[in-house]
Amino acid sequence: MKLKLLNYVLLPMGFIFSNGIQAQNDTGPGDTAVIEEVSVTATGMKQSTRKMGYTTSQVQGKRLATSGEGGVIQALSGKASNVQITKNSGDPGAGAYIQIRGQNTITGNTQPLIIVDGVPVSNSSLGGGIDGVVQQSRLNDINPQDIENVEVLKGAAAAAIWGTRAANGVILITTKKGKKGVHVEFSSSLSLDYVNREYEKQGIYGQGSGGKFVANSGGSWGDKIASRSGADSFNMAGAKFVADDGSIYRPILKKGDNKVYNDVNRDQVFRTGVTWNNNISISSATDKSSIFFSASDWNQQGVLNGMSDYRRTTGRLNFVNQANDKLTISLNGFVSKIFSNRIQQGSNLDGLYLGYLRTSPDFDNTDYSGTYYSAAGIPTFNAHRGYRKYLGNSPPTYNNPGWTLNKQSNTSDVTRFTVTPEIGYKYASNSKMTVRVGYDMSNDRRLTYFPVNSASSNANGSFTDEFIQESELSFHAINQSDFKINSDLKINTTVGYLYTNYNLYDIGGTASQFILTNQDRYAFINSTSANKNPFNSVTKTLNNRVYGIADIEYKDKIFIQATLASEASSTYNNRFFSPSASVGYEFTKDMAKNDMLSYGKLRVSGGIVGVAPPPYIWGTNYVNASSASGWGDYMDASQFGGSIYRSSTKGNPNIKPERKTEIEMGADLKFLKNKVSLGFTYYQNKTEGAILAVAVPASSGYSNQWKNAATITNTGLEFDLNVNLMTSKDFTWNLYGNMGMNRNIVESLSGATSVFLDGFTGTSSRAVVGQAMGSFWGGKFMRNESGKYVLDANGFPQQAVSEGIIGNPNPKYRGSIGMNATYKGLTMNVLVETSQGNQMWAGTYAVLNNFGITPETANEVTVSAADAAKIVNVNGKTIDQMVAANADGSFTVRGNLEDFNNNGNKVLLDQSWYTGLGGGFGSVSEHFIKDASWVRIREVSLNYVVPTNICKMMHVPGLTLGFSARNLALWTKFPGIDPETNLSGVSNGRGLDYFTNPGTRSYMFSLKVNL
Amino acid sequence: MKKNLFLPFAITMLAFTATSCEKDINAINKNNPNQFTDSDPVLMMTGAEMANVLISEGEAARLSGLFAGHFIGADRQFISYSQYKMTAGDFNTPWGNLYTEGVAQCRLIRTKALKANNMELFGVANITEANLLLAASGLWGDVPDVEACDDNIDNPKYDKMSDVTKHCIAMLDSAIPHVTGSNAYSVAYAGTFDWAEVANTMKARAYLRLKDYAKAKAAASAGVSKGNDMFANHSTETPGAWNLYYDFLDWNRGGYIGCDGSHIASLLDTASAKCRNNAKTDEMGRFNYYFTMDYYTHIDPNMVDGIFKTTSNFTLASYVENELILAECEQRLGDNTAALSHLNNARAELDATFTGFQPYVIADFGPSALISGATASDALLKEILTEKYVSLFGQLEPFCDVRRTNNLIGIVPTFGTELPKRFLYPQDEINTNSKTPAGATLFTPLELFQ
Repeated sequence: MKLKLLNYVLLPMGFIFSNGIQAQNDTGPGDTAVIEEVSVTATGMKQSTRKMGYTTSQVQGKRLATSGEGGVIQALSGKASNVQITKNSGDPGAGAYIQIRGQNTITGNTQPLIIVDGVPVSNSSLGGGIDGVVQQSRLNDINPQDIENVEVLKGAAAAAIWGTRAANGVILITTKKGKKGVHVEFSSSLSLDYVNREYEKQGIYGQGSGGKFVANSGGSWGDKIASRSGADSFNMAGAKFVADDGSIYRPILKKGDNKVYNDVNRDQVFRTGVTWNNNISISSATDKSSIFFSASDWNQQGVLNGMSDYRRTTGRLNFVNQANDKLTISLNGFVSKIFSNRIQQGSNLDGLYLGYLRTSPDFDNTDYSGTYYSAAGIPTFNAHRGYRKYLGNSPPTYNNPGWTLNKQSNTSDVTRFTVTPEIGYKYASNSKMTVRVGYDMSNDRRLTYFPVNSASSNANGSFTDEFIQESELSFHAINQSDFKINSDLKINTTVGYLYTNYNLYDIGGTASQFILTNQDRYAFINSTSANKNPFNSVTKTLNNRVYGIADIEYKDKIFIQATLASEASSTYNNRFFSPSASVGYEFTKDMAKNDMLSYGKLRVSGGIVGVAPPPYIWGTNYVNASSASGWGDYMDASQFGGSIYRSSTKGNPNIKPERKTEIEMGADLKFLKNKVSLGFTYYQNKTEGAILAVAVPASSGYSNQWKNAATITNTGLEFDLNVNLMTSKDFTWNLYGNMGMNRNIVESLSGATSVFLDGFTGTSSRAVVGQAMGSFWGGKFMRNESGKYVLDANGFPQQAVSEGIIGNPNPKYRGSIGMNATYKGLTMNVLVETSQGNQMWAGTYAVLNNFGITPETANEVTVSAADAAKIVNVNGKTIDQMVAANADGSFTVRGNLEDFNNNGNKVLLDQSWYTGLGGGFGSVSEHFIKDASWVRIREVSLNYVVPTNICKMMHVPGLTLGFSARNLALWTKFPGIDPETNLSGVSNGRGLDYFTNPGTRSYMFSLKVNL
Repeated sequence: MKKNLFLPFAITMLAFTATSCEKDINAINKNNPNQFTDSDPVLMMTGAEMANVLISEGEAARLSGLFAGHFIGADRQFISYSQYKMTAGDFNTPWGNLYTEGVAQCRLIRTKALKANNMELFGVANITEANLLLAASGLWGDVPDVEACDDNIDNPKYDKMSDVTKHCIAMLDSAIPHVTGSNAYSVAYAGTFDWAEVANTMKARAYLRLKDYAKAKAAASAGVSKGNDMFANHSTETPGAWNLYYDFLDWNRGGYIGCDGSHIASLLDTASAKCRNNAKTDEMGRFNYYFTMDYYTHIDPNMVDGIFKTTSNFTLASYVENELILAECEQRLGDNTAALSHLNNARAELDATFTGFQPYVIADFGPSALISGATASDALLKEILTEKYVSLFGQLEPFCDVRRTNNLIGIVPTFGTELPKRFLYPQDEINTNSKTPAGATLFTPLELFQ
């Protein structure tokens, strides 16, 4: 048993399979090179990696489980070159964005196709945006511990048979099969999560404006907290707020409290996240059949101290029966049940960070809920107290974070199942027919509840009940016939037919303006009919394709593959053809055997894949009329008897799939008796006819039109390295790493200069001609020809009339390096990952400048009387006009001195600057685009296989103890948050931070018992 | 071997069966199950009217108010706006609303109405479109008109402000015969207005811009009559229906815009040296209707119990405005007596609403009279324009009047020494329409407002 476990840990690559039953593998350590590495191909079949003319990245399932991540996607971070994973946030169950070799599409699906055990499954992350809650990614419904192997197909040639679904790559997941004998494994782990980065808040100046305390004001530009008398004085006769715990708050007559509550407020928001994960698997096989069964329960409480959790319970049964020497029948079944509570975030007055971070340092957020009594003693129950309404007499402008965490409710209740029956029939000695049916379905019921007295437009209560059902049925028939022409030439042919039927239903309703205001009910009965708003939508796409693959093998050293797929779909008119070809040449076969270069293969491949147009863009729709100003005020036709008029988006009946052509070349080399292996790949791809709703002049009557408009190119390099430093019976030491570089350029947008992807009016992530996808666009400072600021009369920079490019969220390169060492039963794995050159919009930091919360805004400067008479703020006021002189004649003022390339003439940056162009609400945002490069210790894990003799004493056949840490350390210059988050989630808008919920660091302790 | 071939054969057949359904596969995309492919022009009209309300009362009106001293930006982006620091992107939304939700729909409705021989609807669509294009040309100057909203033209050319104005007059002229005595197709509006009267007041506004006072007078003579004002309908107290100023000022963007230090507040506030109160005028009633105190700032627009409260209908064309147009025309044409009589008509209406407005006599105007000015005539004109500036609080016309009259009433800019002269062409339009005029700043005057 000990040996088996060791194998399992040690073998870096996959196992040999025959008829779907995993071979019992008893080779000892050090024999890895003997084993033929096997990859999974796009059809779901296995193929010798050696014989492939293109590259793929393989990740063993084991490595996902030990990562300590509950989600498969996050667990892949750093494990494959040019596969970029960005978590939406650190919320439990948060989804993640996958980008393989750069972005290929503008409005189409940016995510790779996911194939589990040969059938397409959903990895959607529906919803999300710049506010609301963080959504999940459906791939994370899968239990990572069920996974045997993950294969990432990056290039067009590898994925061509998937045609219009393959442009973003394909991730092939193979789940575990039964192993000979009976193996029962129970594992249990405990994870502790912590917020990995926080914003620093100043604790010097209190709430107010212009150096004076002003109750309920937004900014912290008030007086100096330390200079206050010590206690507030109150109007004891007037109105009052009685908190749930009985604390009483009265109208403040004079602010005197000199305490700073930053720590109290912080502790209200964060806690240690705790996750229990229990997993049991039973694996069994005979010569004729195999069974793999597993059940798991991942129960996570998030780091946000309220209704933030994620519980996933899964079950799986994989069954293979070899009926006779011709017929194999198998069935994989998977079911998952997920329940999660989420916390509102982002650009959202009811969001957590917005209310928490803006809270003035001299305000205590502890009591957020209670009863308000007017001066006449009339109570308002369920009143909400926050720093923008300290008596809770009406809803505060921003939620108290306590309210966001504990009073609002945002649940997601998911049921997911996938069944995959498959029949393989070997009807001739050289031919096999496989028929595979897949059905993947998920239901997600989401409730969103804002009680009465929540901030802003939810002040009178709002409740949404939404039910989303997503399903895909696939039917896949594959015929494989092998022909041996002569001893040197072999041809394997594959012909396939694939039909898919995708359905998405979304139905729900919103009830607002509650009639009974002090009881929480998740029901529509609490609104009048005028305030009930139902909605529904249906999306259906059908797709069928036929494909052929010819694999030609010459003298076991030249491997040629040619494929052609032809596809029809409900979303475009003519068939789409995806050809591809690859050649691999194992040139070391033509060389004298040598230990220096023990293996070498050159490979070249190319192909065409695509992105299908979204459904229903052929015609121009007539839609419900609604006119909105962009600030929240709007006119709603349903309030005026209804109106249906022409949409401002023009349809296009001639829309075609986006077409991505890719060429890839590289080499796989092994040196020093296979001790060092190096993979190298260069690729170049071009997406033509990328679909987008091209902005057209509003004066043409439309704001945009669907067109095959854009051309995008990606060029990149990938390196994968593996070094076996030491391989002996007791000790192995292995270094591995990868690096990826990708240059993305939007070559053309058919006339438009830029296309909005996601973000805000002032700062957005866009597609801009000549720039990388997702580039930042926003207000800039006015500059002269030599690039210097054009200063105003007071010596301050001014905004330029037009907006433009201000940054790029794409990294220059990403890479990771890891080390795996094993000594007897002890295994240690360390993975360090970096992303360099990527920028991010520091929207939170920018806005905290506006509110006088960032430490830099609380700085004080002391200047001489002469300077005080000369140095002005943005309004032209001199320092001596604003503050009184110190005893020594100098002047001390809150702010910073800055010289905007003005020959040493300094100006004062104070409230008037930070609330204007110097803050996040000013119209210039170029100075808030920050370097978001990072280096992190992604994973550290230690596993100890308890020796057999000790196990025997404990009466267990096998025992493994583990510890792992995730995001143990993070180095970045980006302010306040882990830059590996993104406000707009799995959208094509990248690099946005605006009161996004924070990322986490976690420690996991695990125990595995083999029975 | 024969037996063994059965399975692949069966599957191949199944495959071909499915492939043959390609046409059916395509068909499911043609019929979007979630939206319509056409609509009824009467149903479309409400949408276009909503866009018209949004332009008259939403962001375009707020920015006009900031530029004309009605409002002061007090928080966030509006602080910069109040300092006239704006970028082209800030004007995207009103421009987009105006054309895609307004003008484009009106032109479709007009075609459909003609086809259905519904001339009344044809007239209403014309009036709505004329109002939108007058708003556009009043704010941006030269704007697309002739080639605008034509499915065959991708980059509409820009027409001169004067030509757009004349075209609007022509549209109104062609509408008036079909809508006299009617206020049909006006779900988004309120009031006992008459479309023909409203169209005439709009014509008068257009002629004022052309400085053709005789024709302005002629049009206004058939303009909105007493008791027949036209409003945007906000009778339902719910988002999407209620007063748009309320929605912005309190519901969505509390504290972003105030009136503390605004020119209009200084004219009505007894605490201000500029207060208009005199022996015959007491602005207290109107002050209390327009403003509320110490809500977000010291003086805020009254969204609590006054002009911008939830259910306050918003004035789109009024008898007071029409009388003041007539007054200005008469003064400009040299008949001060007739001018004064129209001013007094307006004051009588104000007195009925707010109390505190007694009629003026001609002797009240002059170098050292109650209303002072270099001459009685000058003083009278300034009073007429000031009264219109105050009466049309929150509306689009005052910003046009200020520029049309070269700031005759003396509004003090909130920043620098100059009032903005226009809206900037929106960034979206600059990006997409090669014909968008370049080079204008916020201080480049419009053709008719030189």
